Amino acid sequence: MTVTRAELAAFADGELTGERAARVAAAVAADPALAGEIEAHRALRARLADHYAPVAAAPVPDRLAALLTQPREAEVVDFAEAKERRETRRTIPRWGWIVGPALAASLALVLLLPGSGDDGAGYADPQLAAVLDSRLVAEQVPGADPRVLLSFRAQGGEFCRVFSGEGGGGIACRDGDGWRLEALGEGSAGASTDYRMAGASDADLLARAQEMAQGPALDAEAEAEAKANGWR
Amino acid sequence: MLDLLPRLRRFAAGLAGNPADGDDLCQMSLERALANRSRWQEGTRLDSWMYRIMRNIWIDEGRAGSRRRQTFVDEEAGARQGGDGAQEAAVELSYVDRAMQKLPPDQREAVLLVMVEGYAYKEAAEIVGCPVGTLNSRLVRGRDALMAMLGETQ
Repeated sequence: MTVTRAELAAFADGELTGERAARVAAAVAADPALAGEIEAHRALRARLADHYAPVAAAPVPDRLAALLTQPREAEVVDFAEAKERRETRRTIPRWGWIVGPALAASLALVLLLPGSGDDGAGYADPQLAAVLDSRLVAEQVPGADPRVLLSFRAQGGEFCRVFSGEGGGGIACRDGDGWRLEALGEGSAGASTDYRMAGASDADLLARAQEMAQGPALDAEAEAEAKANGWR
Repeated sequence: MLDLLPRLRRFAAGLAGNPADGDDLCQMSLERALANRSRWQEGTRLDSWMYRIMRNIWIDEGRAGSRRRQTFVDEEAGARQGGDGAQEAAVELSYVDRAMQKLPPDQREAVLLVMVEGYAYKEAAEIVGCPVGTLNSRLVRGRDALMAMLGETQ
């Protein structure tokens, strides 16, 4: 009974079924040399998998993620391309333009409308307010909690910031009394390690931010300037 | 598609030979996929479609680039290990990378699709666009060559 090298490899890869698998299994059981070959195949596979694993585990660079989260303003060359472009756009979340590269793919917020007539609960507590006052999106460390996702200028001219953390998340806008909470969410659980995508509920919050905004999210420079002016 | 990105980057790094060229390949693949979005058929696997686009671009354009950086050792990955393991990690990276670089493209992609990305032979053959038997023999030749090159570096 002979077993080919291709059969051995296929057996190691779990590609053989039924009679062929049984035949190779019997041969391997009877011959330590063949068993050693199987072991070598598996060791090679494990070594390759380990070798390339860090690439898949590393954060995706913004320039790649942004391709998928930002609407593209490509030039229309012909009808077919225009059609493709339209179809492409339809698949892009409606909040895509405000988030852009700021979407760090690590938020999980559930939108709760702010309680009406719930005075006192409508403003950020001192700890959160301190974060909102001081933390710049561009400078925060990856594991920051809460994390400021983006800042924007609301239609009334106020500066607002979307934040997310284990203790909760939401949108806060700076007025004369402090950081007024416009929306609250449940925050991001487990955002520290696993690669997470924005879920459907995030879309609601980000869409809300987009509705409130009078332009795209502030870039790093505009954000630093707003901070220097006390967000007013 | 965002979910697929980490895996696509891994495949691209394997094809191109290093993560930097891999990300360039990844970007080209995403751009082509978005431009041809209407050609993807609902109900078929998005991952297979993306892998196929990527390997086609690599076959068309990527080989010159991967040769250019053949001696590249991933400094970032080495540095990330930190401490005592750093030296060995960097050496290990270059062993596997160099061995993979020496494989002919058809063997390299077969090895990556099956042994790293975990596709069944049939799925890998569909991505590459060849008969299963052809893929099988490329894979056997590729892994035999790898074992010969890496055998003494375990």
